[in-house]
Amino acid sequence: MAERASDRLLRMLGMITYLDRHAGVPVEQIAAHFAVTPGQVLSDVDTLWMTGTPGYFPHDLIDFDAASYEQGVVRLTESRGMTRPLRLGTREAVVLVAALRAMAAALGPSLDPERARVLGSALEKLTAATGEAAASVDVRLAVDGSPAVVAAIGAALQAGRRLRLRYVNASDVTSERDVDPMRLITDDERSYLLGWCYRAGAERLFRLDRVLGAEVLDDPIDPGHAAGARSVEFHPDPTGGLVTLHLTSRGRWVAESVPVEDVRNLADGSFEVDLRVVDQAWLRHLLLQAAGEVIEVRPASVALDVASVARSALAAYGPLADPDRG
Amino acid sequence: MPDQIHPAERLLNLVIALVNTSARMTKEQIRRSVAGYADAASDDAFERMFERDKDTLRELGIPILTVTGSGHGDDIGYRIDQEAYALPPIDLTAAELGVLSLAAQFWQDSSARVDTSRAITKLRAVGAAPEATDLVAGLAPRVSAGGEAFAPLLDAVQARQAVTFRYRAASSGEVLTRVIEPWKLLARRGGWFVVGRDRDRVAPRSFRLSRIEGRVRTVGPPEAFGEPDAAALSSVLASWSAGESRVATLAVRPERAEALRARAVEPTDELDLTDPRLARAVADRDVVHVPFTSAWELAEEVVGYGDAVVVLAPPAVRDTVLRLLRVAATLDEPRGAHG
Repeated sequence: MAERASDRLLRMLGMITYLDRHAGVPVEQIAAHFAVTPGQVLSDVDTLWMTGTPGYFPHDLIDFDAASYEQGVVRLTESRGMTRPLRLGTREAVVLVAALRAMAAALGPSLDPERARVLGSALEKLTAATGEAAASVDVRLAVDGSPAVVAAIGAALQAGRRLRLRYVNASDVTSERDVDPMRLITDDERSYLLGWCYRAGAERLFRLDRVLGAEVLDDPIDPGHAAGARSVEFHPDPTGGLVTLHLTSRGRWVAESVPVEDVRNLADGSFEVDLRVVDQAWLRHLLLQAAGEVIEVRPASVALDVASVARSALAAYGPLADPDRG
Repeated sequence: MPDQIHPAERLLNLVIALVNTSARMTKEQIRRSVAGYADAASDDAFERMFERDKDTLRELGIPILTVTGSGHGDDIGYRIDQEAYALPPIDLTAAELGVLSLAAQFWQDSSARVDTSRAITKLRAVGAAPEATDLVAGLAPRVSAGGEAFAPLLDAVQARQAVTFRYRAASSGEVLTRVIEPWKLLARRGGWFVVGRDRDRVAPRSFRLSRIEGRVRTVGPPEAFGEPDAAALSSVLASWSAGESRVATLAVRPERAEALRARAVEPTDELDLTDPRLARAVADRDVVHVPFTSAWELAEEVVGYGDAVVVLAPPAVRDTVLRLLRVAATLDEPRGAHG
């Protein structure tokens, strides 16, 4: 994929600043620093070498020490006044500071002192350098595991050790499972642990508010289960059965809070959503919450199932369910 | 074709020239002397190339000043203000860069991703060493995507500029055009909201970004309104903050609802379980006390357990659960269009 000229420009400007501050840096180290290949660094340096102020005579150009370049070490000898680091744009500062603030608020309490200190100092330096208090964006992350569970998962991730979890699934069945932790995902709605579950023999996502206990074991995690680079997205599971809900407009939160395959807005303000459902317990819970907004459920067997669950729950209340009692 | 100068190289030459120019450079001087612009085949091609390059540099946060000469009105030149160009003095350790690169992955929106990746490239220039990510290993904080509306709303909040958009009301499903002065963007519980003053309703309102249909457009000039009134802002924000913590008393079937049991606390005030009306609900069940802040959220959680969990108290939670159950109990009956 071709890189955008603007991204390459920013990196080349950054390299001049960086090389002005670090005398003689091996190509590999520059590549690691800017997260590009050594080949890209060579190509960037070659371009920098040809740029400068109008006239473009030798003394006008950005210059490097040719002898050390032969040895694979980049030493800047002429910067043409471009050594100052470029400031962050307003939006760049806002989004980065807002992210750090949300992380500090949500993760800070469960981090060990060293990590909490680094998070704090990064936020402080960036706020000072950008003057951005990020008042315009406010993100609150949901850390909904118990403090002991969050701390154990954090410790296991850092030490690369296996966890023994007591976990209750959506069907309210509790089990004990050994898990190689890969990632602690904290978003604005929930927290999850992504890990390799030995019981399932597969990668699994565990909701933190359903982890009843977490014990750090002595076993190291299997290196094959280290956190992959892939991001975890919540998509409708294509293997699930198709369920269609016809909802009143007040049920719009359903389409907004669960992964839906399709949404069709209808002329009267109501709408239909298609869901792919693997877990019947999950669907039942959703419909118990949303029943007031449901006009129709397809297939009809789902509606029958939910209604009978609700009737037996009402029966369990006995006289407490009597509307006269208020 | 002769050696074409790569756009990144042309842009770099332009930046270096405009930083180093003693006073300013006119467009003509740029065309003649800055390497890369001689490639332009015609006046029009040059104009387009130069305008695009100026936009690109401004987009990257490089401040290009327009300087009018003392002579004729169309005698316009350009330079880059070094003071406005530079980041204030800052040094970042490898660990701090690691934290920042984690923060850069926080966003799911492509526009915010572009912004954060640019910011990281700039900050790497002042980093002592490549980012060290071992300190933040395995952590993945993130926020859900705000969608198309996010970037224009953020710009409008920053610029204090009013915006208009078509919005689907949750209550009626009706789509109406709204005009608001946006104050702040909030991410809460999986949703993005913009809070601001609704000009037509002359009152603070919050809008869910996912219900905005079509584009967000600015209305009128920037700096059109001042700091939001603190009281008005906090009243809108108050609806998002957690309420006071209370304790609910639940009757739970043996070995069920472990997730609720895990949060159990000691009771604050003991319910009289000998009350005959409770007798049926507590029979063969464990009584569990669970703290909550929102009666509605606890009710929505509890209802998922069906007959395994009965709410004994407080009535606010119990009645909410019962209301949900009564409606759900009729789900298999034929209903009207607005059931």
